[in-house]
Amino acid sequence: MPKFFLNKRLIILLVSIMVLVALIGFSLKERNELSWMEKFVKDTVVFMQSIVHKPAQFVAGFFENVNDLRHTYEENKRLKEHLEQYVLLQSEVESLKKENERLRELLNKKESLRDFVAIQATVIGRNPDRWEETLIVNKGSQHGVKKDMAVITPQGLIGKVRSVSPFSATVQLLSAKNRQNRISAFIQGDENVFGLIEGYDEEREALLLKRIPYDAKIEKGQRVFTSGLGGIFPKGLFIGEVEEVVADEYGLTQIAYIKPAANFYDIDDVIIVKRKIEMSQEEEEQ
Amino acid sequence: MSRLFLPSLVTVIFLLESIIVQLVSQPLFDVYLLVPRMLLVFIVFITIFIGQTEGMMYGFIFGLLYDVTYTELLGAYAFAFSLIAYLIAKAMNVLHKNAWTASFFAIVAIACVEWYVYAIQLVIGGTTMSVSTFFQARFLPTLFIHTIVILLIAYPLKQTLLKWHEKRDESSPV
Repeated sequence: MPKFFLNKRLIILLVSIMVLVALIGFSLKERNELSWMEKFVKDTVVFMQSIVHKPAQFVAGFFENVNDLRHTYEENKRLKEHLEQYVLLQSEVESLKKENERLRELLNKKESLRDFVAIQATVIGRNPDRWEETLIVNKGSQHGVKKDMAVITPQGLIGKVRSVSPFSATVQLLSAKNRQNRISAFIQGDENVFGLIEGYDEEREALLLKRIPYDAKIEKGQRVFTSGLGGIFPKGLFIGEVEEVVADEYGLTQIAYIKPAANFYDIDDVIIVKRKIEMSQEEEEQ
Repeated sequence: MSRLFLPSLVTVIFLLESIIVQLVSQPLFDVYLLVPRMLLVFIVFITIFIGQTEGMMYGFIFGLLYDVTYTELLGAYAFAFSLIAYLIAKAMNVLHKNAWTASFFAIVAIACVEWYVYAIQLVIGGTTMSVSTFFQARFLPTLFIHTIVILLIAYPLKQTLLKWHEKRDESSPV
């Protein structure tokens, strides 16, 4: 037995397992900021990655272009149909916007939860081990990105910023399994119904909107938006459409399956969204 | 071939892993989740054809980079990659060094790392994937693709590494 413990290699192995467990525990802890070393390493890697990324994307883009060309005719036809509706919609939006502004002035309420500043960013990498779906984007704290900000594509909400370093940020997708991934949302209808997006059903590829009051009447196809009540997210970012509503395990609330509007796979460019209201509050504090 | 050839080659492989996943992130046929593990293949080949110290060094450094930049779960890959390099170096004491054994060990290493990371994710609650789903949708397809790729690149990779090793030994003053 003493010989067993004198074995140098075994001791090294045991010590490194202990260090491993400690490090994993350390990284699982909710951290508000990465250590400077992590930030430095990340930015260096992201810098190199953006160099390698361009030719790689060029090659991939070539095949995509060929594919696009094949569908151009059909797409063109469909877009023309949409265009007519679009003109109508636009004039409606304009008049509503003006009315909204006028009413706001009457109320002397200048800011709304809906106002936001957009930061454009390019996706240059994705977590290759694919357990946790995260993206790496090329904008960081130097560009005004902060932890927990909402990240959208033109189709809809895709996730939130998980960690920031000066020149890059990691975006956690809505499909990631993480209990901290909680978003306050509402279902648009005659009467808006509020709930929390908690979790993702991998098999159905749907988000779970929980804590909906049991007596709320929800139909399939209703649209779901962020409510802006959770803190950092602005109001009115499109999340998806209701697919099915079921009672939860205790029958006290309902759970809605939401089909996300954005595609979580084919993402090249994203918009990081900075809410205006919060900024002004911060300025007041300063 | 300069001294910097191998470090830069491994760096490019490391960067490409993330970029490839970003460009082709859609699951294959909507079911199969392929995970690139070429970095690990390189570490296994470096351990076998260049040496234990180099293998463990590359394993630790690039494993740590992987942890810090991609998974944000510190230590997991750094530990796995260097342990695998160590164990393979020990096994090579009694085995012949050739492209076949290297390919075999590379495939075994990928299998081990996949199960190891799955176990960690299960323990920390990072996934709820069942063992059978993991096995069918992730483990088998990944292993299958890598087996093909490894068999294609094993011989050229071995030659390149041996050549680089020889050149380096000649040029470095002993």
